[in-house]
Amino acid sequence: MSSEPIERRVAYVGDRLRGSRCSFCGKEYFKIKDYCGACGRESFGKMESIDFFYDEGTLEVCTLVNEPTNKFKKLGPYVYGIVTFHDGKVRFPGRLTDRIIGDEAIHLEELEGRRIVPRFRRRHASEPSGIVPTISLAFSFSDEYYPYQDYKIVKPSKKYDRPGIVGYGAYLSKFRIKERAIERSVPFFDEDAMTAAVEAGKMALIHSGVDHKIVDKVYVGSESNPYAVKPIASKVAQVLKLGEEEPREGVQFVDAIDTEFACKAATSMFKDAASLVYYPDSPESNTMVIGTDNSQSAPRGEPGGELDFFVGYGACAFIFGMYDVIARFEGWISVTSDTPDFWRRDLQPYPSHGGRFTGLPAYFKHVSKAVKKLMDRLRLEPQDVDYFVTHQPNAVFPTRVAKALGFKEEQFKPGLQVLRFGNTYSGCSPISLASVLDIAKPDERILLASYGSGAGSDAYSFVTTSQILDKRPRQSFTINYQAESKFLDYVDYSTYRRLKRGIQSS
Amino acid sequence: MIMKTKYPAIVSVGRTSFGEHYEREPENLVEEAGLGALDSVNIERNDLGACHFSDYFLPITNKIGLEEGFLSELLELNVPMEITRSFSSALSNACNAVQAGKYDLVLVGGFEKMTDRWDKIRDDLMLLEDPWSYYAGCTPEANHELMLRAYIKRHRIEGQSLETLANALAEFSVRNHHNALKNKYAQYHKEITVESVKKARSSARKPLGLFDFAPISDGASALILTNSELAESYTDKPVYIFGYSSATDYITFPSRKDLTGFTATQLTMRDVLKTTDVQLKDISLLELYDQSTVMGIISLEDLGFCAKGKSWMDINASCENVEGYYELGGRQVFVNMNGGLKADGNPLGATGGAEIFEVFKQLRQEAGERQVKADGELRYGCVHELEGFGTKAYVYILGRN
Repeated sequence: MSSEPIERRVAYVGDRLRGSRCSFCGKEYFKIKDYCGACGRESFGKMESIDFFYDEGTLEVCTLVNEPTNKFKKLGPYVYGIVTFHDGKVRFPGRLTDRIIGDEAIHLEELEGRRIVPRFRRRHASEPSGIVPTISLAFSFSDEYYPYQDYKIVKPSKKYDRPGIVGYGAYLSKFRIKERAIERSVPFFDEDAMTAAVEAGKMALIHSGVDHKIVDKVYVGSESNPYAVKPIASKVAQVLKLGEEEPREGVQFVDAIDTEFACKAATSMFKDAASLVYYPDSPESNTMVIGTDNSQSAPRGEPGGELDFFVGYGACAFIFGMYDVIARFEGWISVTSDTPDFWRRDLQPYPSHGGRFTGLPAYFKHVSKAVKKLMDRLRLEPQDVDYFVTHQPNAVFPTRVAKALGFKEEQFKPGLQVLRFGNTYSGCSPISLASVLDIAKPDERILLASYGSGAGSDAYSFVTTSQILDKRPRQSFTINYQAESKFLDYVDYSTYRRLKRGIQSS
Repeated sequence: MIMKTKYPAIVSVGRTSFGEHYEREPENLVEEAGLGALDSVNIERNDLGACHFSDYFLPITNKIGLEEGFLSELLELNVPMEITRSFSSALSNACNAVQAGKYDLVLVGGFEKMTDRWDKIRDDLMLLEDPWSYYAGCTPEANHELMLRAYIKRHRIEGQSLETLANALAEFSVRNHHNALKNKYAQYHKEITVESVKKARSSARKPLGLFDFAPISDGASALILTNSELAESYTDKPVYIFGYSSATDYITFPSRKDLTGFTATQLTMRDVLKTTDVQLKDISLLELYDQSTVMGIISLEDLGFCAKGKSWMDINASCENVEGYYELGGRQVFVNMNGGLKADGNPLGATGGAEIFEVFKQLRQEAGERQVKADGELRYGCVHELEGFGTKAYVYILGRN
């Protein structure tokens, strides 16, 4: 599909699974309808907008697709069927995603009748120069890896005098590759940095209980945006309906921006996002920052292929605001120098890195400087910090820098996630921060120091509040769950490379 | 007694063989079929008042957008010409015009050239069938399988019955191939076995396999339509259209109310029977639009030849019969004597014409080796055609007087 208007209309309805409900008879429709077929003229203008984005449905009937149409070929065999929502009020077509089908027997009757949740995914392949089509007519079983979770908007109860994190969510895929001591998350064929960003943002909304309508700006940091020009953030804003919606024109009153600074593209924006909600003119405002990457690497044996042992896939989203804060900002500092230790030139498929630079003059120097400066400014000693979280290109670097800064294992080990998910680039230190927020008690201090090649580091100090415990039960898709779920699917190296390339490649 | 005056009459038919015609342009196919129809009754092109043509998607497969222009040039005619998507659709427009007295003599022709776009044809077919299903990953085969799954669940078919159903579907395909052996125009002249049908299913790990589906075909078909006053001036044995109708249904199959049948067919047949004196029990010849075995047997129910949820039992009970008919609801009905879409071929815009061709020949006792030997007089035949996956349905009741 190379028509931009068609693409825009299909994505507008399909990404969110928008529909309509007749306010007279209650009849529901998939897709937007101006009137109800049963009620006719009197229902004009009386149709309610609904969507199925946060809902759970049922796979009614299904079959195996062995020979997909051309644009679906890269998915391999998949299960396709009819799904129903809202107790059978509405039905639409759907494909089961997150399933690699080999030679095994497929028992359709065992799949039919099971509960499913919509997943935001790439729709199908497109030309390398074309628009990346997306849709949520992809589903997975809600009793498997990805759970059904209701999104309940919670009225804010407490205003804080300084901004902080009001909610967060992480998304790591179901697929893993395990080599020696390291497990890494791997995207399914129809996943990319954009789809993970939406999933993480969805999880953050669910956890925070923040009304999506009062999220006024979204920042997405990534270095693997499928587009060189076109933001991921606009997709996130539309799919998650951030800001006030003007449905007739299909626009959101929200600001959306992509940022790039290697692995610190997201953390860099934490302070900007917090400053914005602190601005006197926007007292009710919330902001969202997402770090997302389908971390890129050349294949092993090629230049830059060393990274292929460490790259992961995932995203993490944080919502900042003044109300119902779970961790407030205590201070921040950033450090920057022009250090070309890792880069990707325009039109190059994979990044390169300078072996001489990545350790001492790059990672260690910038992280240490930022952390020391912040601790000086806040007059902190290592023992004042409960958790130390830093960027994790591997397990050795964060351990060495933490020890050099005087932190003990119990301070930095909980946030050390690289051996479970790999290096998720822009999502890496945010996911590690999330893993610590998952377990932190009230009034604990978390020190975060990201690292972005090029090079720089953002250091933050957060202090948790009592509300961290109140919100915890809202999110079952925790970092630990995603690391240890029994539904994880382990793949071999060649499958991993195919998954990594995804549906797009021709 | 049926009054012949008010019925449109078919005076001749023509067709090409179905299959791959890679050396020929689409308009040359319909030329062959059309000339066949004209020549057999000595009608000159210049006698035609209008032409109604059909092709499902030549604008996509062959990048031909103004089919009428190609045909005007080829036939050296400047009469009104219209294009619709299916042969039945073209024919129903022609019938309306003839009945209204607008034209005396109309050429109806259908043509399709699917193999010219072999590499992308399944994507095109699916996108046209329903874009939203395509976006969700549907294939041209998948909806047939989903309908079968829904049918099995709705009618609670389990255990041995499930086996019998699978068997009946296979037998239906085997019979199609058997019938096509005697049809010189058919795409396939090859017997298949129940085992081979089942083996294709099990190797695909699906409820339906390669031998359950109609192929991709090139071909053309044509007929000459006139009114009943003029019909006998062209032929001694005109075939009258005693009833015809059509109906529509939602483009997205999952959104339809009934997943276990084609509502459009049911509504069409109801309307046809309401507007004709022919009764269902008088029809002993039937050409089904069986893009798949399941579409075939479920259409038997939609058309009223079999009870809902029971057609497979009838098929299974009569699969041993060597006379070539099925016992449907206790009655002999000859089905798909040309081999059906499965074996005769399915060049979309031309398919309906091949169905009409068969019934025309049979009713005139001109079907040669394929000629059916009905118990009583062979008087009425029924032709069923769908567009998309049941998005449109057409039914024609044809008969001699």
